[in-house]
Amino acid sequence: MNHRIVTKNVALLYKEAGAYFGNLPAFATRDTATSWRPVSYKELYEQGLNLATGLISLGVSPRDHVGLFGDNRFEWILSDCAVQICGAADVPRGRDVTDKELIYIINHAGIKVTFAETQEICKRILRLKENLPLLEEIILLDPKATATGDVKHLSEVIDLGAQLRLNGDKRAEERMAQIKPDDLFTLIYTSGTTGNPKGVMLTHANIMSQVRNLPGKYDMSDRVLSVLPIWHIFERVVEMFTISFGGCTYYTSIMAMGEDMRNVEPTFMASAPRLWEKLHERILKNIKASHPVRQVLFHIAYFLAKQYFQSQQYMFNKQLQLKKQSLMLWYLLLPLQAIRWLLVMPWYGFFNAAVLERIRLGAGGSLKETISGGGALPIHIDKFFNYVGIPVLEGYGMTETSPVISFRTGDNLILGTVGPPIAETEIRILDTETGKILYQSSDPSIQTLGERGEICVKGPQVMKGYYKDQELTEQTITDGWLRTGDVGMVTYNNCLKILGRSKSTIVLSSGENVEPEPLEMCLLQSNFIEQAMVVGQDKKFLGALIVPSLSEFKTAGYEFQTMEDIARSPEALKIIRDEIRRMISSNNGFKIFEQIKDFRLLPDSFQVGEELTNLYKLKRYVVEKKFNHVINEIYSKA
Amino acid sequence: MEFTTQLLYGIDQALLALMIFVIMLGMGASLTIDDFKAVARNPKGVFIGFLSQFGLMPLIALGLAIVLNLPPFFALSLVLIGCLPGGTTSNMFTYFSRGNVALSISMTTASTVMALIMMPLLLTVYTSGIVEQISAQLAAKGEEGEFVIPTSNIITSLVMVLIPVVLGMILKKKSPGWAKTAEDTAGFVGLLVILYLLITAFSRHGHLFVQTPWQAYVATIGLGLGGFFFGFLASRAVGMPPISQRAISLETGIQNGPLSFAIILLSFPQEPMQSQMVWLAILYSTFIVISSSIITLYYRKVGQFDWDVYKNTMVHNRLFGKDYKTHYPKGYLPKNIVGDPSQGASVSQRRS
Repeated sequence: MNHRIVTKNVALLYKEAGAYFGNLPAFATRDTATSWRPVSYKELYEQGLNLATGLISLGVSPRDHVGLFGDNRFEWILSDCAVQICGAADVPRGRDVTDKELIYIINHAGIKVTFAETQEICKRILRLKENLPLLEEIILLDPKATATGDVKHLSEVIDLGAQLRLNGDKRAEERMAQIKPDDLFTLIYTSGTTGNPKGVMLTHANIMSQVRNLPGKYDMSDRVLSVLPIWHIFERVVEMFTISFGGCTYYTSIMAMGEDMRNVEPTFMASAPRLWEKLHERILKNIKASHPVRQVLFHIAYFLAKQYFQSQQYMFNKQLQLKKQSLMLWYLLLPLQAIRWLLVMPWYGFFNAAVLERIRLGAGGSLKETISGGGALPIHIDKFFNYVGIPVLEGYGMTETSPVISFRTGDNLILGTVGPPIAETEIRILDTETGKILYQSSDPSIQTLGERGEICVKGPQVMKGYYKDQELTEQTITDGWLRTGDVGMVTYNNCLKILGRSKSTIVLSSGENVEPEPLEMCLLQSNFIEQAMVVGQDKKFLGALIVPSLSEFKTAGYEFQTMEDIARSPEALKIIRDEIRRMISSNNGFKIFEQIKDFRLLPDSFQVGEELTNLYKLKRYVVEKKFNHVINEIYSKA
Repeated sequence: MEFTTQLLYGIDQALLALMIFVIMLGMGASLTIDDFKAVARNPKGVFIGFLSQFGLMPLIALGLAIVLNLPPFFALSLVLIGCLPGGTTSNMFTYFSRGNVALSISMTTASTVMALIMMPLLLTVYTSGIVEQISAQLAAKGEEGEFVIPTSNIITSLVMVLIPVVLGMILKKKSPGWAKTAEDTAGFVGLLVILYLLITAFSRHGHLFVQTPWQAYVATIGLGLGGFFFGFLASRAVGMPPISQRAISLETGIQNGPLSFAIILLSFPQEPMQSQMVWLAILYSTFIVISSSIITLYYRKVGQFDWDVYKNTMVHNRLFGKDYKTHYPKGYLPKNIVGDPSQGASVSQRRS
């Protein structure tokens, strides 16, 4: 009964989905918690044809770039559908796009026609009009807003197209037939660490390979919750994937997510580590606030689940294997693990049913899987959800690979890894110093396991290149192999483990290389630490910038009102110092040079759009620049 | 077989009484007045369940007793178990087997109330042969008097057991937090006490396990399995949707075990009759937990598809309005659920 639509291009995907899934809901928009508006696959495609015809008569040519500035909503997808039908490519960016980025992107991509979600963006674009010589048309998406002046409203363009089609206009259909697999489907601008944003060119062939190769058994009865920004390729691929199996995508927001999870009961979703950290925090808080008997029951249940899960991982050889394991030892310990598994099973069965199920209901209770992407999932969060039975799978990818390179599936659940590469995808591990190939998935003769190096990818999802930047494209892709700039290794059970960004590697003045991410992840395990960044490039030792958790200090009984109070308190400093020592010590396997010798507390937390990307990744260069004086202070005495 | 000593000591009896109290309190704490009203909303399902529980189950029990030629006290105990109403355990198993939980709760509620009439009636009808055997045995031993089923005692013990259920319902109204705790604790306590009884029986009367004739094992395992099987067949034959088939199947096979202990202790005080009857009840309670777990895992797997479709309908009706109809492409839905009237109208939506 599994029916997945795989076509040559995205326009055909919309078309065939409209024909096959017909009246099934494709996208749903929230009015109130229990009142949503569905749009069917048929309607989506019909309206898409109308809008596309409208766009064509506004002058959108094949292979044009059409701007699409806005966040998740049905009209966004409708615009995308129309742009695809026209044979054009869209250039998406969120509502939080800055003026500088708008000017750069619109001019660099040569955008003539653009969609703008809200009145506010329309106004901003109009204000910048002088700097945008190529821009001709602005189309407002928000159905509640009215378009004024030169701005057209989406409904006008749809009506225009509908009228033309009534009179026999077949240009939209003709356009669709001319799309080549190598044509761009989207042009995504990513902010680089330096200089201007880079335009990543993704083709129809790129995205369709993802739709074809993403694993998982989903069908028309599946529900997908959408919370990550749609203009990010990860969320976008998941929505295209959802269209291919006929599921319904429900648009929620970070604010309403908890409630919507319970009402929509999603079976699948794209997620980011931060969402799971938040949910984890909330669950623990609820448990702390619950009846003491229930707290005890939870702890018993969690303990049993952990034992059960660990035995099972051992027995099926699904542990994280960074070193070669002795088969003898494995067989020797196998009976012990089997006994533990058998002993724990009946109790686990009961507690799983009586206690852990309630926790799963907090995430809707129907989640078959969820892929976490866009950053590393802290191992304690990863463990927590997998122990309680919410299958959070970790994936790895980047915009340049549209985006999925590898992900850990439900039947290959090796915690701490991002799984094997997906179908049709090859990976290589290159020695970061010598450039020697340590591992190549397609070549059995070069398979050094457990050695770190830079990850390279080859496959149908690798981008066409950076728009108008041949030099950078050549630097990044050679012979079809794309250099990810990430450092990783292949484990002894053939899964990829990410060890950090090679670019974020801190080289101490002693010449030692340190990956800051694992250290930061360790620091974050402390409840007193909300956010952390490890610094020390070219210095004698590592330092850290710490954002303390105000709520945790309050819970612990301290009377701090603001973050600044904490930063000034010697007591708090001592607590954090002890926490750092506890988290990162030689007992935990950290080397001497990896230990954090000094730190500073920051009076404000890192903000999305400022120090964090939309997927909550640290923008190291921003933090370094902003807190330059604080960092200097750490190293001033030394 | 002969029991040389009493199976249950005073302390065990006290423990059992406590367990019955806790479990029944937990059962009450999971019920609301709405559940009684829900019975009226799904009369067909509850009626099929009723027929299956009070029609099929006692017959399966009697059939097993006759075919296996069980000793009279064992036979009496088996038929008694066969006539019991369903317990709350079935609701939990139904939930995890992706079955119709609302129907399971309705059936448990209805059968518990109906048991007041049905149990004495059924026992009188089905045990007449066994009673004659027991009387003959007594006469052969030269004891005076005739053995009769203590109907009034049974009704009294049923009523006594229903008191904590009512208390649980009151608790739920007064303090939902405590009610939730009571619900959680009940299942755990039930498991602990069964384990305790098994272990003490094993350590004190280790020979019992060997002495127990194989027929008793077959009968206690077979009763549950027979209930699952015939309950499934019957509900399938009358065209119930798959989620209800699973609920009725589990409800039929899983009886209110603790209730059997209460009735035996209060209504059949004579030894060795009591010990033998209790022993069979312990065996049933143990095996039913294991067999229901296995059946539940199986149902969960085979029921995945129709459950997904059912859930999707529920969510669509919740979010897009109760009149929203989900149109799947032709050929997607298999025959048995394509015209399922229960989809979208079930109260399970509100409970979860």
